[in-house]
Amino acid sequence: MSDSPAAVRPVSVAGLPRLTQVMLKVGATGFGMGMVGVLQQEVVTRRSWLTQEEFADGLALANLLPGPIAVDVAVYVGYRLRGWIGATLCLLALLVPAFVIMLRLTIAYLHYGQVPQLHGAFKGLNAAVVALVLSVAYRIGKSSLKSTAQAALAAVALVAAFLHANLIVLVLACGLAGALFLSSRPKTVTP
Amino acid sequence: MNLLRLALVFGKIGAVVFGGGFVMIPFIQREVVQHYGWLTQQQFVDAIALGQITPGPILISATFIGYTVQGLTGAVVATLAVFLPSFLMTALAARQLARLRRNPRIAGFLRGVLPAVVAMLLMAAITIGRATLWSDWRLLLLALAALVLLVRFKVDAVYVVVGAGVTGFLIER
Repeated sequence: MSDSPAAVRPVSVAGLPRLTQVMLKVGATGFGMGMVGVLQQEVVTRRSWLTQEEFADGLALANLLPGPIAVDVAVYVGYRLRGWIGATLCLLALLVPAFVIMLRLTIAYLHYGQVPQLHGAFKGLNAAVVALVLSVAYRIGKSSLKSTAQAALAAVALVAAFLHANLIVLVLACGLAGALFLSSRPKTVTP
Repeated sequence: MNLLRLALVFGKIGAVVFGGGFVMIPFIQREVVQHYGWLTQQQFVDAIALGQITPGPILISATFIGYTVQGLTGAVVATLAVFLPSFLMTALAARQLARLRRNPRIAGFLRGVLPAVVAMLLMAAITIGRATLWSDWRLLLLALAALVLLVRFKVDAVYVVVGAGVTGFLIER
């Protein structure tokens, strides 16, 4: 762990205050996955801290790991540029705007959420949330249910979920099944 | 004691949200609503909707839940706990990137995980829909319209959520 992860610097050097400032901006102006776009614009296009390829690597990594994609990418960017301190600052700076806004919304909600006039609005939000969840299921399903085995796995998981299986165990069990039976064969003979 | 439990629950959820922040929804519903009863179904759905119209990650709904359970400290603890696992894993994996991407076992793991994620999201949508939309055909129609806007026309989620809130408000008046 002695060699600096920032050893390979592309075009310009990222100072910690500037890095923090950029992440604050990304966290305050990007919504959900939209943050990835803002992040890319700042880190690659505007400031040339990372090349397009390095950024794409971060995105690929985020897709492999758990966690929100944009947060994973931001932590990757911070780590690549300034090691653990950079990663920590990036995470916190990214979260601060959302945290502050969410806190205010929560307090307002706990105060006014029961106002009868707003009842309809919350029902409308329910409809939107159901649609959102379905749209994400559709998006992930379209790219991940590519074989009969995967469709069957999804069907089994759906039944198990409705039978109140522990969801964490369920996800990990399906991952294990995938690692055992769905790993792509490397070209060389597996040992 | 609640704080520790809050940290454990959210840390656990943060470690398994493969596929993006939305995947937290079934986990939170199961743990926070059904198991511990920290939130009502309605509060939970509202937390997600608020997370959607707040800039930043969707997972920031954790702040809402933490605050509701244990005030400001709860909000801080839940928020940090839910992001900590992915933070650690990302920073640790950043140097191993090339090796991880070539590892067929990891690719296989994800090929198995994502179908389960799809199934859990479907379950969450059905559970939430049954609890909140089933009794009112207008809300079902609204959900359908929102789905078409999101999937077919790729409208940004923020606009869909705000639009649905306004529509619901106008319907009820």
